[in-house]
Amino acid sequence: MIISKKKDFRHLMDNIGRYNNFFLIGCSECASLCGTGGEPEIKELTEALKAQGKSVSGGFVAKTGCQVLGTKVELKKFKNEVDSADCILIMSCGAGTQAAVELYEDKAVYPTNDSLFLGNMTRFQMFDERCSLCGECIIDMTGGICPVTTCPKGLLNGPCGGCNDGNCEVSPDIKCAWVKIYERMKRLDRLQELCETTIEAKDWSKAQKPRNHYAKEEKKK
Amino acid sequence: MSFRDILNSGKFVVTAEVGPQKGTDIKEMHHHMELLKGKLDAVNVTDNQSAVMRICSLAVCKIAMEHGLEPILQMTCRDRNRIALQSDLLGASVLGIKNVLCMTGDHVTAGDHKSAKPVYDIESVQLLKAVDGLNNGRDMSGNEMKGPTDFLQGAVVTPEANPIEPQLIKFGKKVKAGAKFFQTQAIYDIDKFKEFMRHARKFPVKVLAGFVVLKSAGMANFLNNNVPGIRVPQSLIDELKAAGKEKALETGMDITARHIRQLKEEKICDGVHIMAIGMEDKVPVIMGKAGLL
Ligand code: SF4
Ligand code: SF4
Repeated sequence: MIISKKKDFRHLMDNIGRYNNFFLIGCSECASLCGTGGEPEIKELTEALKAQGKSVSGGFVAKTGCQVLGTKVELKKFKNEVDSADCILIMSCGAGTQAAVELYEDKAVYPTNDSLFLGNMTRFQMFDERCSLCGECIIDMTGGICPVTTCPKGLLNGPCGGCNDGNCEVSPDIKCAWVKIYERMKRLDRLQELCETTIEAKDWSKAQKPRNHYAKEEKKK
Repeated sequence: MSFRDILNSGKFVVTAEVGPQKGTDIKEMHHHMELLKGKLDAVNVTDNQSAVMRICSLAVCKIAMEHGLEPILQMTCRDRNRIALQSDLLGASVLGIKNVLCMTGDHVTAGDHKSAKPVYDIESVQLLKAVDGLNNGRDMSGNEMKGPTDFLQGAVVTPEANPIEPQLIKFGKKVKAGAKFFQTQAIYDIDKFKEFMRHARKFPVKVLAGFVVLKSAGMANFLNNNVPGIRVPQSLIDELKAAGKEKALETGMDITARHIRQLKEEKICDGVHIMAIGMEDKVPVIMGKAGLL
Protein backbone atom coordinates (compact mmCIF):
# COMPACT_ATOMS: atom_id res chain seq x y z
CA MET A 1 0.00 0.00 0.00
CA ILE A 2 0.98 3.66 -0.29
CA ILE A 3 2.37 4.91 2.98
CA SER A 4 1.46 8.45 3.96
CA LYS A 5 2.27 10.64 6.91
CA LYS A 6 0.44 13.70 8.19
CA LYS A 7 2.11 17.01 7.48
CA ASP A 8 3.00 19.00 10.53
CA PHE A 9 -0.20 20.96 11.40
CA ARG A 10 1.54 24.32 11.61
CA HIS A 11 3.13 23.73 8.23
CA LEU A 12 -0.28 22.75 6.83
CA MET A 13 -1.83 25.95 8.24
CA ASP A 14 0.92 28.00 6.55
CA ASN A 15 -0.09 26.37 3.27
CA ILE A 16 -3.86 26.81 3.60
CA GLY A 17 -4.10 29.87 5.83
CA ARG A 18 -5.60 32.02 3.09
CA TYR A 19 -8.75 29.80 2.81
CA ASN A 20 -11.66 29.77 5.20
CA ASN A 21 -14.10 27.00 4.39
CA PHE A 22 -12.88 23.47 3.79
CA PHE A 23 -14.21 20.19 2.47
CA LEU A 24 -12.21 17.13 3.52
CA ILE A 25 -11.73 13.91 1.56
CA GLY A 26 -10.12 10.84 3.14
CA CYS A 27 -9.58 7.39 1.65
CA SER A 28 -10.72 4.03 2.99
CA GLU A 29 -7.74 2.16 1.63
CA CYS A 30 -4.10 2.92 2.37
CA ALA A 31 -4.63 6.25 4.14
CA SER A 32 -7.09 4.71 6.60
CA LEU A 33 -4.61 1.97 7.45
CA CYS A 34 -1.86 4.55 7.84
CA GLY A 35 -4.02 6.59 10.20
CA THR A 36 -3.91 9.62 7.92
CA GLY A 37 -7.24 9.62 6.09
CA GLY A 38 -9.94 7.60 7.87
CA GLU A 39 -13.04 8.75 9.82
CA PRO A 40 -11.14 9.52 13.04
CA GLU A 41 -8.59 11.66 11.19
CA ILE A 42 -11.32 13.62 9.38
CA LYS A 43 -12.96 14.33 12.69
CA GLU A 44 -9.70 15.34 14.28
CA LEU A 45 -8.75 17.71 11.45
CA THR A 46 -12.24 19.21 11.39
CA GLU A 47 -11.91 20.10 15.06
CA ALA A 48 -8.40 21.41 14.64
CA LEU A 49 -9.47 23.67 11.77
CA LYS A 50 -12.42 24.97 13.77
CA ALA A 51 -10.12 25.74 16.65
CA GLN A 52 -8.18 27.93 14.22
CA GLY A 53 -11.35 29.88 13.39
CA LYS A 54 -11.96 28.09 10.08
CA SER A 55 -15.15 26.38 9.00
CA VAL A 56 -15.64 22.96 7.51
CA SER A 57 -18.53 22.41 5.11
CA GLY A 58 -18.25 18.63 5.25
CA GLY A 59 -16.13 15.63 4.52
CA PHE A 60 -16.18 11.95 3.72
CA VAL A 61 -13.97 8.94 3.31
CA ALA A 62 -13.74 7.98 -0.36
CA LYS A 63 -13.74 4.26 -1.08
CA THR A 64 -10.57 4.52 -3.21
CA GLY A 65 -9.38 8.08 -3.50
CA CYS A 66 -7.03 7.46 -6.41
CA GLN A 67 -9.82 5.93 -8.47
CA VAL A 68 -10.93 9.01 -10.38
CA LEU A 69 -14.31 7.92 -11.74
CA GLY A 70 -15.44 6.09 -8.61
CA THR A 71 -14.58 9.08 -6.46
CA LYS A 72 -16.40 11.39 -8.87
CA VAL A 73 -19.59 9.33 -8.46
CA GLU A 74 -19.24 9.26 -4.66
CA LEU A 75 -18.77 13.04 -4.57
CA LYS A 76 -22.08 13.73 -6.32
CA LYS A 77 -24.04 13.69 -3.10
CA PHE A 78 -21.68 16.23 -1.54
CA LYS A 79 -22.18 18.82 -4.30
CA ASN A 80 -23.47 21.60 -2.05
CA GLU A 81 -20.81 21.10 0.60
CA VAL A 82 -18.06 21.10 -2.01
CA ASP A 83 -19.49 24.17 -3.75
CA SER A 84 -19.60 26.14 -0.52
CA ALA A 85 -16.00 25.30 0.37
CA ASP A 86 -13.19 27.46 -0.98
CA CYS A 87 -10.60 24.71 -0.55
CA ILE A 88 -10.63 20.92 -0.67
CA LEU A 89 -8.21 19.09 1.60
CA ILE A 90 -7.12 15.63 0.54
CA MET A 91 -6.21 13.29 3.33
CA SER A 92 -4.71 10.45 1.29
CA CYS A 93 -1.67 10.19 -0.98
CA GLY A 94 -0.40 12.36 -3.82
CA ALA A 95 -2.40 10.28 -6.27
CA GLY A 96 -5.59 10.91 -4.33
CA THR A 97 -4.84 14.63 -4.28
CA GLN A 98 -4.39 14.71 -8.02
CA ALA A 99 -7.60 12.76 -8.61
CA ALA A 100 -9.40 15.64 -6.90
CA VAL A 101 -7.41 18.20 -8.87
CA GLU A 102 -8.68 16.50 -12.02
CA LEU A 103 -12.27 16.61 -10.75
CA TYR A 104 -12.19 20.22 -9.55
CA GLU A 105 -10.30 22.22 -12.11
CA ASP A 106 -11.31 25.58 -10.67
CA LYS A 107 -11.00 24.91 -6.99
CA ALA A 108 -8.04 24.92 -4.63
CA VAL A 109 -7.05 21.36 -3.67
CA TYR A 110 -4.36 20.84 -1.01
CA PRO A 111 -2.73 17.72 0.42
CA THR A 112 -2.67 17.22 4.18
CA ASN A 113 -0.20 14.34 3.96
CA ASP A 114 3.26 13.56 2.67
CA SER A 115 3.34 10.41 0.54
CA LEU A 116 6.29 8.23 1.46
CA PHE A 117 6.59 4.88 -0.31
CA LEU A 118 4.98 1.63 -1.30
CA GLY A 119 5.10 -0.33 1.91
CA ASN A 120 4.35 -3.54 3.72
CA MET A 121 2.52 -3.26 7.02
CA THR A 122 4.55 -5.39 9.42
CA ARG A 123 2.62 -4.53 12.58
CA PHE A 124 -0.21 -2.10 13.27
CA GLN A 125 0.79 1.16 11.55
CA MET A 126 4.40 0.05 11.11
CA PHE A 127 5.58 0.08 7.52
CA ASP A 128 8.64 -1.12 5.61
CA GLU A 129 9.67 -0.41 2.05
CA ARG A 130 10.33 -3.61 0.10
CA CYS A 131 9.50 -2.73 -3.50
CA SER A 132 10.21 0.55 -5.24
CA LEU A 133 8.26 -0.22 -8.43
CA CYS A 134 11.31 -0.33 -10.66
CA GLY A 135 9.33 -1.48 -13.67
CA GLU A 136 11.06 -4.80 -14.24
CA CYS A 137 11.06 -7.20 -11.35
CA ILE A 138 14.26 -9.16 -10.83
CA ILE A 139 13.59 -10.87 -7.52
CA ASP A 140 13.10 -14.17 -9.28
CA MET A 141 16.91 -14.19 -9.30
CA THR A 142 17.41 -13.06 -5.71
CA GLY A 143 15.26 -15.45 -3.73
CA GLY A 144 12.31 -13.08 -3.67
CA ILE A 145 14.14 -10.37 -1.73
CA CYS A 146 14.52 -7.05 -3.52
CA PRO A 147 18.04 -5.59 -3.57
CA VAL A 148 16.89 -2.66 -5.71
CA THR A 149 14.91 -1.42 -2.72
CA THR A 150 16.27 -2.99 0.43
CA CYS A 151 19.96 -2.36 -0.33
CA PRO A 152 20.50 1.43 -0.03
CA LYS A 153 22.82 1.23 -3.03
CA GLY A 154 20.51 -1.03 -5.03
CA LEU A 155 23.38 -3.42 -5.73
CA LEU A 156 22.46 -6.34 -7.96
CA ASN A 157 25.40 -8.71 -7.66
CA GLY A 158 26.34 -9.08 -4.04
CA PRO A 159 27.25 -7.06 -0.97
CA CYS A 160 29.52 -4.04 -0.90
CA GLY A 161 32.54 -3.89 1.38
CA GLY A 162 30.51 -2.02 3.96
CA CYS A 163 28.52 -4.99 5.17
CA ASN A 164 29.25 -5.10 8.88
CA ASP A 165 28.58 -8.33 10.77
CA GLY A 166 25.56 -8.82 8.55
CA ASN A 167 24.30 -5.27 8.91
CA CYS A 168 24.27 -2.49 6.35
CA GLU A 169 26.97 0.18 6.24
CA VAL A 170 24.28 2.84 5.93
CA SER A 171 22.55 1.95 9.19
CA PRO A 172 23.16 -0.71 11.81
CA ASP A 173 19.36 -0.99 12.07
CA ILE A 174 19.09 -2.50 8.60
CA LYS A 175 20.23 -6.01 7.84
CA CYS A 176 22.37 -6.16 4.69
CA ALA A 177 20.05 -7.08 1.83
CA TRP A 178 22.71 -9.30 0.31
CA VAL A 179 23.24 -11.25 3.50
CA LYS A 180 19.49 -11.87 3.57
CA ILE A 181 19.52 -12.92 -0.07
CA TYR A 182 22.50 -15.20 0.53
CA GLU A 183 20.84 -16.84 3.53
CA ARG A 184 17.58 -17.40 1.72
CA MET A 185 19.21 -18.77 -1.42
CA LYS A 186 21.20 -21.11 0.80
CA ARG A 187 18.03 -22.33 2.51
CA LEU A 188 16.47 -22.91 -0.90
CA ASP A 189 19.59 -24.75 -2.06
CA ARG A 190 20.08 -22.20 -4.85
CA LEU A 191 23.62 -20.98 -4.02
CA GLN A 192 25.05 -22.36 -7.24
CA GLU A 193 22.60 -20.21 -9.18
CA LEU A 194 23.50 -17.16 -7.10
CA CYS A 195 27.19 -17.65 -7.92
CA GLU A 196 26.59 -18.17 -11.60
CA THR A 197 24.16 -15.37 -12.41
CA THR A 198 25.46 -11.93 -13.07
CA ILE A 199 22.49 -9.61 -13.10
CA GLU A 200 22.77 -7.08 -15.90
CA ALA A 201 22.55 -3.33 -15.37
CA LYS A 202 18.92 -2.37 -14.88
CA ASP A 203 16.94 -0.93 -17.74
CA TRP A 204 15.78 2.30 -16.17
CA SER A 205 13.79 3.21 -19.25
CA LYS A 206 11.23 0.86 -17.73
CA ALA A 207 10.80 3.35 -14.93
CA GLN A 208 10.66 6.48 -17.03
CA LYS A 209 8.31 9.04 -15.52
CA PRO A 210 5.42 9.62 -15.82
CA ARG A 211 4.41 6.05 -16.33
CA ASN A 212 1.09 4.75 -17.56
CA HIS A 213 -0.29 1.32 -18.12
CA TYR A 214 -3.43 0.38 -20.03
CA ALA A 215 -4.17 -3.17 -18.96
CA LYS A 216 -7.31 -3.37 -21.09
CA GLU A 217 -5.47 -2.58 -24.32
CA GLU A 218 -2.67 -4.94 -23.40
CA LYS A 219 -5.25 -7.70 -22.94
CA LYS A 220 -6.60 -7.07 -26.44
CA LYS A 221 -3.10 -7.43 -27.89
CA MET B 1 57.77 -1.32 -17.38
CA SER B 2 54.05 -0.72 -17.15
CA PHE B 3 52.04 -1.82 -14.13
CA ARG B 4 50.41 -4.49 -16.31
CA ASP B 5 53.79 -5.90 -17.34
CA ILE B 6 55.13 -5.81 -13.80
CA LEU B 7 52.05 -7.67 -12.53
CA ASN B 8 52.48 -10.30 -15.19
CA SER B 9 56.24 -10.57 -14.63
CA GLY B 10 55.68 -12.20 -11.26
CA LYS B 11 57.60 -9.51 -9.38
CA PHE B 12 56.22 -8.64 -5.92
CA VAL B 13 54.20 -5.52 -6.71
CA VAL B 14 53.91 -2.43 -4.55
CA THR B 15 51.20 0.18 -4.92
CA ALA B 16 50.18 3.00 -2.63
CA GLU B 17 47.50 5.59 -2.67
CA VAL B 18 47.24 9.32 -3.05
CA GLY B 19 44.10 10.94 -1.71
CA PRO B 20 43.13 14.09 -3.59
CA GLN B 21 42.26 16.93 -1.30
CA LYS B 22 39.43 19.39 -1.00
CA GLY B 23 40.56 22.64 -2.57
CA THR B 24 42.99 23.79 -5.20
CA ASP B 25 46.18 24.31 -3.22
CA ILE B 26 48.01 21.13 -4.18
CA LYS B 27 51.57 21.94 -3.10
CA GLU B 28 51.58 19.15 -0.53
CA MET B 29 50.25 16.67 -3.06
CA HIS B 30 53.06 17.53 -5.47
CA HIS B 31 55.50 16.96 -2.63
CA HIS B 32 54.04 13.54 -1.82
CA MET B 33 54.18 12.52 -5.45
CA GLU B 34 57.85 13.50 -5.64
CA LEU B 35 58.50 11.36 -2.54
CA LEU B 36 56.78 8.34 -4.10
CA LYS B 37 58.29 8.75 -7.53
CA GLY B 38 60.42 5.83 -8.68
CA LYS B 39 59.49 3.72 -5.67
CA LEU B 40 56.06 2.35 -6.56
CA ASP B 41 54.81 0.19 -9.39
CA ALA B 42 51.62 2.23 -9.49
CA VAL B 43 49.72 4.72 -7.41
CA ASN B 44 45.98 4.63 -6.76
CA VAL B 45 44.13 7.90 -6.88
CA THR B 46 41.00 7.70 -4.76
CA ASP B 47 37.59 8.84 -5.99
CA ASN B 48 35.93 11.18 -3.51
CA GLN B 49 36.98 8.78 -0.79
CA SER B 50 34.46 8.16 1.99
CA ALA B 51 31.98 10.17 -0.06
CA VAL B 52 33.82 13.36 0.90
CA MET B 53 33.95 15.82 -2.01
CA ARG B 54 37.50 16.45 -3.28
CA ILE B 55 39.45 16.98 -6.52
CA CYS B 56 38.38 14.38 -9.07
CA SER B 57 40.47 11.28 -9.45
CA LEU B 58 40.94 11.80 -13.18
CA ALA B 59 42.71 15.15 -12.81
CA VAL B 60 44.98 13.88 -10.06
CA CYS B 61 45.86 10.79 -12.14
CA LYS B 62 47.02 13.13 -14.87
CA ILE B 63 49.17 15.08 -12.40
CA ALA B 64 50.62 11.81 -11.08
CA MET B 65 51.68 10.94 -14.62
CA GLU B 66 53.42 14.28 -14.92
CA HIS B 67 55.42 13.25 -11.85
CA GLY B 68 56.41 10.00 -13.55
CA LEU B 69 54.04 7.84 -11.51
CA GLU B 70 51.76 5.28 -13.12
CA PRO B 71 48.22 5.93 -11.85
CA ILE B 72 45.39 3.55 -11.08
CA LEU B 73 42.17 5.48 -11.54
CA GLN B 74 39.71 4.59 -8.80
CA MET B 75 36.14 4.80 -10.02
CA THR B 76 33.10 4.49 -7.85
CA CYS B 77 29.52 4.16 -9.03
CA ARG B 78 28.17 6.50 -6.39
CA ASP B 79 28.33 9.79 -8.24
CA ARG B 80 27.95 9.02 -11.94
CA ASN B 81 25.49 7.15 -14.10
CA ARG B 82 26.62 4.80 -16.86
CA ILE B 83 26.97 7.62 -19.37
CA ALA B 84 29.25 9.66 -17.13
CA LEU B 85 31.30 6.62 -16.07
CA GLN B 86 31.97 5.50 -19.62
CA SER B 87 32.65 9.04 -20.73
CA ASP B 88 35.20 9.51 -17.92
CA LEU B 89 36.78 6.19 -18.86
CA LEU B 90 37.21 7.33 -22.46
CA GLY B 91 38.62 10.58 -21.14
CA ALA B 92 41.06 8.69 -18.94
CA SER B 93 42.09 6.54 -21.86
CA VAL B 94 42.93 9.46 -24.13
CA LEU B 95 44.92 11.05 -21.31
CA GLY B 96 47.05 7.90 -21.21
CA ILE B 97 45.67 6.37 -18.01
CA LYS B 98 46.00 2.61 -18.25
CA ASN B 99 44.59 1.17 -15.04
CA VAL B 100 41.20 1.43 -13.45
CA LEU B 101 39.92 0.14 -10.14
CA CYS B 102 36.16 -0.47 -10.24
CA MET B 103 34.33 -0.01 -6.97
CA THR B 104 30.82 0.54 -5.67
CA GLY B 105 31.78 3.46 -3.43
CA ASP B 106 30.80 4.40 0.11
CA HIS B 107 27.25 5.66 0.46
CA VAL B 108 26.76 9.44 0.56
CA THR B 109 25.61 9.13 4.17
CA ALA B 110 29.27 8.44 5.09
CA GLY B 111 30.50 11.71 3.63
CA ASP B 112 30.22 15.46 3.84
CA HIS B 113 27.30 15.97 1.41
CA LYS B 114 24.73 13.82 3.11
CA SER B 115 21.79 15.28 1.22
CA ALA B 116 23.27 14.37 -2.19
CA LYS B 117 21.41 11.90 -4.39
CA PRO B 118 23.38 8.66 -4.57
CA VAL B 119 23.51 7.34 -8.14
CA TYR B 120 24.46 3.63 -8.28
CA ASP B 121 23.00 3.34 -11.76
CA ILE B 122 25.36 0.39 -12.12
CA GLU B 123 27.64 -1.31 -9.60
CA SER B 124 31.16 -2.69 -9.44
CA VAL B 125 30.51 -5.97 -11.27
CA GLN B 126 28.64 -4.20 -14.05
CA LEU B 127 31.32 -1.49 -14.24
CA LEU B 128 33.97 -4.18 -14.71
CA LYS B 129 31.89 -5.59 -17.55
CA ALA B 130 31.55 -2.11 -19.02
CA VAL B 131 35.34 -1.66 -18.97
CA ASP B 132 35.73 -5.02 -20.67
CA GLY B 133 33.27 -3.85 -23.32
CA LEU B 134 35.12 -0.58 -23.88
CA ASN B 135 38.37 -2.54 -24.20
CA ASN B 136 36.66 -4.48 -26.94
CA GLY B 137 35.43 -1.38 -28.71
CA ARG B 138 31.82 -1.38 -27.54
CA ASP B 139 29.93 0.74 -25.07
CA MET B 140 27.33 -0.55 -22.62
CA SER B 141 24.57 -0.18 -25.18
CA GLY B 142 26.52 -2.25 -27.66
CA ASN B 143 27.42 0.69 -29.89
CA GLU B 144 30.66 0.35 -31.76
CA MET B 145 33.20 3.03 -30.83
CA LYS B 146 35.84 4.74 -32.86
CA GLY B 147 38.84 3.25 -31.11
CA PRO B 148 38.70 0.95 -28.07
CA THR B 149 40.26 1.55 -24.66
CA ASP B 150 43.08 -0.58 -23.31
CA PHE B 151 42.58 -0.67 -19.57
CA LEU B 152 43.87 -3.10 -17.03
CA GLN B 153 40.86 -3.37 -14.77
CA GLY B 154 40.96 -4.23 -11.10
CA ALA B 155 38.55 -4.50 -8.21
CA VAL B 156 38.48 -4.61 -4.44
CA VAL B 157 37.67 -7.37 -1.99
CA THR B 158 37.31 -7.57 1.79
CA PRO B 159 39.05 -10.76 2.95
CA GLU B 160 37.77 -10.39 6.51
CA ALA B 161 34.17 -9.56 5.65
CA ASN B 162 31.66 -11.05 8.04
CA PRO B 163 29.90 -13.10 6.78
CA ILE B 164 32.54 -14.02 4.21
CA GLU B 165 30.51 -16.25 1.84
CA PRO B 166 28.51 -13.49 0.04
CA GLN B 167 31.77 -11.53 -0.33
CA LEU B 168 33.47 -14.54 -1.94
CA ILE B 169 30.55 -15.03 -4.32
CA LYS B 170 30.94 -11.43 -5.40
CA PHE B 171 34.70 -11.90 -5.76
CA GLY B 172 34.01 -14.74 -8.20
CA LYS B 173 31.58 -12.58 -10.16
CA LYS B 174 34.14 -9.79 -10.40
CA VAL B 175 36.70 -12.20 -11.82
CA LYS B 176 34.15 -13.42 -14.34
CA ALA B 177 33.34 -9.81 -15.22
CA GLY B 178 36.96 -9.22 -16.18
CA ALA B 179 38.85 -8.10 -13.07
CA LYS B 180 42.55 -8.80 -13.57
CA PHE B 181 43.82 -7.70 -10.19
CA PHE B 182 42.43 -7.13 -6.71
CA GLN B 183 43.46 -4.75 -3.98
CA THR B 184 42.12 -5.81 -0.62
CA GLN B 185 40.67 -3.98 2.34
CA ALA B 186 43.30 -3.58 5.08
CA ILE B 187 44.40 -6.87 6.60
CA TYR B 188 46.08 -7.45 9.97
CA ASP B 189 45.89 -11.18 10.46
CA ILE B 190 48.19 -13.03 8.08
CA ASP B 191 46.89 -16.48 8.98
CA LYS B 192 43.36 -15.43 8.15
CA PHE B 193 44.56 -13.79 4.98
CA LYS B 194 46.23 -17.05 3.97
CA GLU B 195 42.83 -18.70 4.25
CA PHE B 196 41.37 -16.13 1.90
CA MET B 197 44.28 -16.60 -0.51
CA ARG B 198 43.69 -20.35 -0.64
CA HIS B 199 40.30 -19.45 -2.14
CA ALA B 200 41.59 -16.61 -4.32
CA ARG B 201 44.36 -18.74 -5.79
CA LYS B 202 41.71 -20.79 -7.60
CA PHE B 203 41.15 -17.78 -9.86
CA PRO B 204 43.46 -16.37 -12.54
CA VAL B 205 43.91 -12.99 -10.85
CA LYS B 206 46.61 -11.09 -9.02
CA VAL B 207 45.97 -10.11 -5.41
CA LEU B 208 47.62 -7.18 -3.64
CA ALA B 209 47.11 -7.20 0.12
CA GLY B 210 45.92 -3.90 1.56
CA PHE B 211 47.70 -2.19 4.47
CA VAL B 212 46.70 0.69 6.68
CA VAL B 213 49.39 1.59 9.20
CA LEU B 214 48.26 1.58 12.81
CA LYS B 215 49.26 4.81 14.53
CA SER B 216 48.15 3.78 18.00
CA ALA B 217 46.19 1.25 20.02
CA GLY B 218 43.34 3.76 19.99
CA MET B 219 43.28 3.78 16.21
CA ALA B 220 43.25 -0.03 16.15
CA ASN B 221 40.25 -0.08 18.46
CA PHE B 222 38.55 2.57 16.36
CA LEU B 223 39.03 0.50 13.20
CA ASN B 224 37.69 -2.60 14.93
CA ASN B 225 34.60 -0.78 16.10
CA ASN B 226 33.85 1.41 13.12
CA VAL B 227 35.24 0.08 9.89
CA PRO B 228 33.46 -2.91 8.38
CA GLY B 229 35.72 -5.75 7.34
CA ILE B 230 38.71 -4.68 9.42
CA ARG B 231 39.84 -6.84 12.34
CA VAL B 232 42.97 -5.92 14.23
CA PRO B 233 43.96 -8.88 16.45
CA GLN B 234 44.37 -8.19 20.17
CA SER B 235 48.06 -9.22 20.03
CA LEU B 236 48.82 -6.25 17.74
CA ILE B 237 46.84 -3.87 19.95
CA ASP B 238 48.87 -5.10 22.93
CA GLU B 239 52.10 -4.60 20.98
CA LEU B 240 51.13 -0.99 20.23
CA LYS B 241 50.15 -0.39 23.84
CA ALA B 242 53.42 -1.78 25.11
CA ALA B 243 55.33 0.52 22.76
CA GLY B 244 53.91 3.59 24.51
CA LYS B 245 52.60 6.79 22.94
CA GLU B 246 55.91 8.04 21.55
CA LYS B 247 56.86 4.81 19.84
CA ALA B 248 53.38 3.75 18.69
CA LEU B 249 53.63 5.00 15.10
CA GLU B 250 57.09 3.49 14.72
CA THR B 251 55.74 0.18 16.02
CA GLY B 252 52.74 0.41 13.68
CA MET B 253 55.10 0.84 10.74
CA ASP B 254 57.22 -2.07 11.99
CA ILE B 255 54.14 -4.28 12.13
CA THR B 256 53.18 -3.36 8.55
CA ALA B 257 56.75 -3.95 7.37
CA ARG B 258 56.90 -7.30 9.16
CA HIS B 259 53.63 -8.43 7.55
CA ILE B 260 54.75 -7.30 4.11
CA ARG B 261 58.03 -9.22 4.48
CA GLN B 262 56.15 -12.36 5.47
CA LEU B 263 53.75 -12.10 2.51
CA LYS B 264 56.66 -11.65 0.16
CA GLU B 265 58.90 -14.34 1.61
CA GLU B 266 56.15 -16.94 1.82
CA LYS B 267 54.79 -15.88 -1.58
CA ILE B 268 51.31 -15.63 -0.10
CA CYS B 269 50.05 -13.03 -2.58
CA ASP B 270 51.30 -11.01 -5.55
CA GLY B 271 52.04 -7.73 -3.89
CA VAL B 272 50.87 -5.09 -1.46
CA HIS B 273 48.85 -1.90 -1.52
CA ILE B 274 49.75 0.65 1.15
CA MET B 275 46.98 3.06 2.08
CA ALA B 276 48.70 5.87 3.94
CA ILE B 277 45.58 7.98 4.55
CA GLY B 278 47.27 11.35 5.03
CA MET B 279 50.72 9.89 5.77
CA GLU B 280 51.96 9.56 2.21
CA ASP B 281 55.43 10.65 3.38
CA LYS B 282 55.64 7.51 5.53
CA VAL B 283 55.20 5.13 2.58
CA PRO B 284 58.92 5.16 1.62
CA VAL B 285 59.81 4.60 5.30
CA ILE B 286 57.58 1.53 5.49
CA MET B 287 58.95 0.27 2.19
CA GLY B 288 62.47 0.68 3.51
CA LYS B 289 61.65 -1.26 6.67
CA ALA B 290 60.04 -4.02 4.58
CA GLY B 291 63.09 -4.29 2.36
CA LEU B 292 61.25 -3.13 -0.72
CA LEU B 293 63.57 -0.27 -1.69
S1 SF4 C 1 12.88 -5.67 -8.45
FE1 SF4 C 1 12.31 -4.80 -6.50
S2 SF4 C 1 11.64 -2.71 -7.00
FE2 SF4 C 1 11.65 -3.85 -8.90
S3 SF4 C 1 9.54 -4.58 -9.07
FE3 SF4 C 1 10.74 -6.24 -8.09
S4 SF4 C 1 10.45 -5.90 -5.90
FE4 SF4 C 1 9.84 -4.01 -6.93
S1 SF4 D 1 25.91 -3.28 3.34
FE1 SF4 D 1 24.57 -4.59 2.11
S2 SF4 D 1 22.58 -3.55 2.07
FE2 SF4 D 1 24.09 -2.06 2.78
S3 SF4 D 1 24.74 -0.95 0.95
FE3 SF4 D 1 26.20 -2.64 1.22
S4 SF4 D 1 25.34 -4.33 0.05
FE4 SF4 D 1 23.72 -2.83 0.28
